Amino acid sequence: MNHRSLAFRLGVWYALLLSAAFALIGAGMFYGLKQYLRANLADSLKRRSAQIEQILLEAPAGTVDGILAERIETRVAPEFNNRFVRVTRAPATLVFRSTAPSDRAFDPGAVPAVPVPWPEGGTARRVVGAPGSTLIESVTPIIAPSGRYLIELGASFVPIEAMQSRLLTVLGLLLPALIACAAAGGYLLVGWALRPVDRIAESADEMIAQGLDARLPVVPSGDAIERLSISVNRMLARLRDSLQTSRRFLADASHELRTPLTVIKGELQEALHTAGGEHAVSEHIGSVLEEVARLEHLVSGLLVLSRLDVGEAQRELVDVDLAELAAGTAEQLRLLAEDRGVLLECSPSSAVIARGDRARLKQVIVNLLDNAIRFTARGGTVTLRAGHDDQQPTLEVRDTGAGIPAAALPHIFDRFYRVDEARSREDGGAGLGLSIVRAICTAHGAEIEVDSVVGRGTCFRVRFPR
Amino acid sequence: MRLLIVEDDQKLANFVARALRAESFAVDHAADGCEGQRYLDTYHYDLLILDLMLPRMNGTELLRHARHTHPLLPVLVLTARDATEDKVRHFEAGADDYLTKPFDIAELAVRVRALLRRTPHERADVLAVADLELNRLTQQVRRAGQRIDLTAKEYSVLEYLLSSPGRVFSRAMILEHVWDQSFEGVTNIVDVYVRYLRRKVDEPFPVKLIQTVRGMGYCVREGGSDGDGGRA
Repeated sequence: MNHRSLAFRLGVWYALLLSAAFALIGAGMFYGLKQYLRANLADSLKRRSAQIEQILLEAPAGTVDGILAERIETRVAPEFNNRFVRVTRAPATLVFRSTAPSDRAFDPGAVPAVPVPWPEGGTARRVVGAPGSTLIESVTPIIAPSGRYLIELGASFVPIEAMQSRLLTVLGLLLPALIACAAAGGYLLVGWALRPVDRIAESADEMIAQGLDARLPVVPSGDAIERLSISVNRMLARLRDSLQTSRRFLADASHELRTPLTVIKGELQEALHTAGGEHAVSEHIGSVLEEVARLEHLVSGLLVLSRLDVGEAQRELVDVDLAELAAGTAEQLRLLAEDRGVLLECSPSSAVIARGDRARLKQVIVNLLDNAIRFTARGGTVTLRAGHDDQQPTLEVRDTGAGIPAAALPHIFDRFYRVDEARSREDGGAGLGLSIVRAICTAHGAEIEVDSVVGRGTCFRVRFPR
Repeated sequence: MRLLIVEDDQKLANFVARALRAESFAVDHAADGCEGQRYLDTYHYDLLILDLMLPRMNGTELLRHARHTHPLLPVLVLTARDATEDKVRHFEAGADDYLTKPFDIAELAVRVRALLRRTPHERADVLAVADLELNRLTQQVRRAGQRIDLTAKEYSVLEYLLSSPGRVFSRAMILEHVWDQSFEGVTNIVDVYVRYLRRKVDEPFPVKLIQTVRGMGYCVREGGSDGDGGRA
């Protein structure tokens, strides 16, 4: 699970918020229930107390205590209601005391007496501890014809506490489960909601491979997803337009430069011809002509690039044997390498078939070899290998040259990029060779990678699709 | 021999015309497609040099028209586009040859002459300049009667240079003729081969035959570097 994903974060937030909300609700329920049960209990105690009060008030003076006790017993049936009842006549005559309740929650004999003096006035409430339980008691002093009485009616907290602990158990089990469900649901829901975005991202990836003419399918859902698809499509169209404009500019510019170049070259050649023996003049003109030749290379390189950009490379796709092409090309460049004191090796291999444009693929080998030979010092070795890596047809050019600094590596395929300004210019390279290599590779669906260690050498590897 | 150049770039047309006149051709120039068509319909020409990007009537149309009215007229197309499919289209439309700008005027002259010969010209079996001799049948090279061993590529370069003694061949021409376009602009391979060639052909002998013309290329001729490098 991705801890930074939107779905995960939303899930966590969901869970946290729900936990807080449930904790508040749970606490409220718990407290409210406690209050409600206690109030209820106190109420019923008060009602019973009033019944006893009535018995006492109705009894004429001189009624025997036993009769009073019997009446109270009959009326209230304390042991069945699990109530504690005690009626005391002042100063300290026990008129009635309930027997042990059916649930044996408390021992009536052990409930401490209300201290003297008795409270005055209406019903008071007190909480007393008795062995085994805590009692809530309503204490009512009355004055009846037969004397002053104190009516005590109590009930154990045990049932309330039991109910509370049951509630706590239920909440404790139910809430985490609910929160977990909610969090998981949230996670899934967000994932589900984001799936169209995923699909857009996937399609966008595919489109990058296909070129900028592809468009996302727009589902008319009327929501943000539809708007996103439309925006992405609009952006792609703009991108394609601006890319086309710049490519067209490149193609047009290199195209338009060709006619004036022809004129310049022709006129200069003629001037050189007519200059006759004037050595200084022919040197000047010759020097300008050399620059014209460089311009020509540049222009034709740019044209090749612009043409590859618009995808004209895949004109004649045939099966090309890279091994044979490599061997032949290496042979043609052997003298160039020897001239620079570089050993050019071509590892022999059985047929390595890749689909492509033969002339373009040869250009790749020539440019890579030329590059390697140029940047390898006398006594070094350049190795060209065609083979299969992971069943992919692969070309590899390895040299023992100066290597490319890590900082320069990401740029070496850029147009006009030079690792070493002075050195490359002296060699007359226009800085387009590797750009052309990459453009050809891209047009063939091949990947090009480069490893380099400064002082040890460089290895270019081109992998063709299976 | 009368040639027609249809080319809208005045300067290019002028200098092509001048160069071809120097090769003793009669040259007319039309600046657009319609004018070109008028010239073609009015006069008799032995060869048409045609730029494809023309105002008023484009070159391809004119080419079709010319093919229709003058089926035997050789046509050399000048183009700034060198994509293979363009070339194929030109040939389909009836061009006999094409040249990609920027071209060498020497190349143009060679192509024009080749086209005017129409029938495959007699190929000399032995090419010779001074005491240097190249036998195309045996592929042997001799200088002052002494046998010189050349590699295949060295032989090809020398054969090309000897095919027109005194003419300057640019590096691009040599590259395209002996190697192929993959090598264009990438290497100084021509210079390296010429250097090796010189080592074998010139160094042991007092008279140097392979000349460098700075900014232009190489040529084979007798008589040292007097700078008189141009046309035969």
